[in-house]
Amino acid sequence: MSDEHTVKSFDGEINRLNDVIIEMASLTKEQVRDAVTVVVKRDSELAGEIIEKDPAINNLELESHELTMRLLALRQPVAIDLRNIVVSIKISSDLERIGDYAANVAKRALVLNQLPPVKQARTIKNMGRVTYDLLKDVIDAYEHQDVKKALDVWHRDEEVDDMYTSIFRELLTYMMEDTHNITACTHLLFIARNLERIGDHATNIAEDIHFMIKGKPPTGRRPMGDVDGEFDIFDH
Amino acid sequence: MTNPDNNSSNGKPVFPQEKIKIACKRVNVYYGDKHAIRDVNLEIGKNEVTAFIGPSGCGKSTFLRCINRMNDTIDICRVEGEIEIDNENIYDKSLDVVLLRARVGMVFQKPNPFPKSIYDNVAYGPKIHGIASTKGELEGIVETSLKKAGLWEEVNDRLDQPGTGLSGGQQQRLCIARAIAVQPEIILMDEPCSALDPIATAKIEELIEELKENYTIVIVTHSMQQAARVSQKTAFFHLGDLVEYGETEDIFTNPVNKLTQDYITGRYG
Repeated sequence: MSDEHTVKSFDGEINRLNDVIIEMASLTKEQVRDAVTVVVKRDSELAGEIIEKDPAINNLELESHELTMRLLALRQPVAIDLRNIVVSIKISSDLERIGDYAANVAKRALVLNQLPPVKQARTIKNMGRVTYDLLKDVIDAYEHQDVKKALDVWHRDEEVDDMYTSIFRELLTYMMEDTHNITACTHLLFIARNLERIGDHATNIAEDIHFMIKGKPPTGRRPMGDVDGEFDIFDH
Repeated sequence: MTNPDNNSSNGKPVFPQEKIKIACKRVNVYYGDKHAIRDVNLEIGKNEVTAFIGPSGCGKSTFLRCINRMNDTIDICRVEGEIEIDNENIYDKSLDVVLLRARVGMVFQKPNPFPKSIYDNVAYGPKIHGIASTKGELEGIVETSLKKAGLWEEVNDRLDQPGTGLSGGQQQRLCIARAIAVQPEIILMDEPCSALDPIATAKIEELIEELKENYTIVIVTHSMQQAARVSQKTAFFHLGDLVEYGETEDIFTNPVNKLTQDYITGRYG
């Protein structure tokens, strides 16, 4: 926020809320990065760390909600302040969900690590990198109040959706080829789905940033990959 | 957004012609050499509550007082431009100011009942304007006005008691009843709740909500929460300029002008 309030303690409380969101965001970002690393490098120790860290994100969400309630009750915020505070509620729940997905990826990776390596795990790496970049950029956009960057993320989510669809098809063919692959491929499929969901939440955050700064949601159709095109396969 | 030129709010929000109760065109007000209102263009909708907000000295009360020519009583005050009520210019020389003030009632910051009985406070206006021809008719007007002002239940057993003996909130509602008694079309309120406690304030706000069914209400308030709660349109004044005018909801969620935003979010210093 550019200018200060006449009542300085109001600034203090809003800044505290924004700091909690940023802390939550950077923790979530690390969790997603580590979750992808766990799958790619079969690092069970790191997977354990991710699962242990997840409650910290949940606690930050609770803290942000307490600050939000307090600000709404005591300051009766309007205009940019109101939008900032309302958007904090939404962003914190998106981040919390992203944290859950990262922990879920880690849990599935622990199971995968008990199975013989499957080469398809590498295609997850690409999708993981693209998803991580989306999240990183949207968090940057939040920190720097950068609408342009947020809109960029909004448009790029389609890429993650397309990757998910392609991984889905690829994994299905491996499962059809050899039924021994089914367990590992199913876990990989859920991992890919989790990454795709993380991309969606990053897109939600991008919309919220746009609303916070501009006072209205981004215009135009939200770009969507053909995620549900997967069902086509059963039709043929 | 940069500081707007004086005409930025011209014609906003746009009402259909039949919805316009008051149309202000290029209104300028001077106190001697001081230019207190600069080129204000503003349309006020029928049966709506319009709030004027802005820092002290921004001209919102001055502008309000133009609407029933209260500024005429100040020698050094000069009003230019046109203010039309139902398409009739109220600054036209042929207009009877006394009749105008019956059509445009006013409620002030400090409750100012006459030092007379509750009954006489309300009956005085209809009596001098010849609105009631019989005693029974007059009694009817007093009762209806007190009911509309939400005061009847509290005072109907002591109408002969002095109005000044009521509590602050009751006095203010008595003043509203007095204004209503002459059957005005418009009620101007200049910070009507600033001397009242929260419960009395809530009663007045509830009353404003009910009154807008039959009257057009313009309220000046220093409480932005009050403007947000009671009005449909909000006008923000600053140093004699009308900076922004629009739907109250838009003003308080997404104001266009940076000055408006700074003021309503408490960044104005």
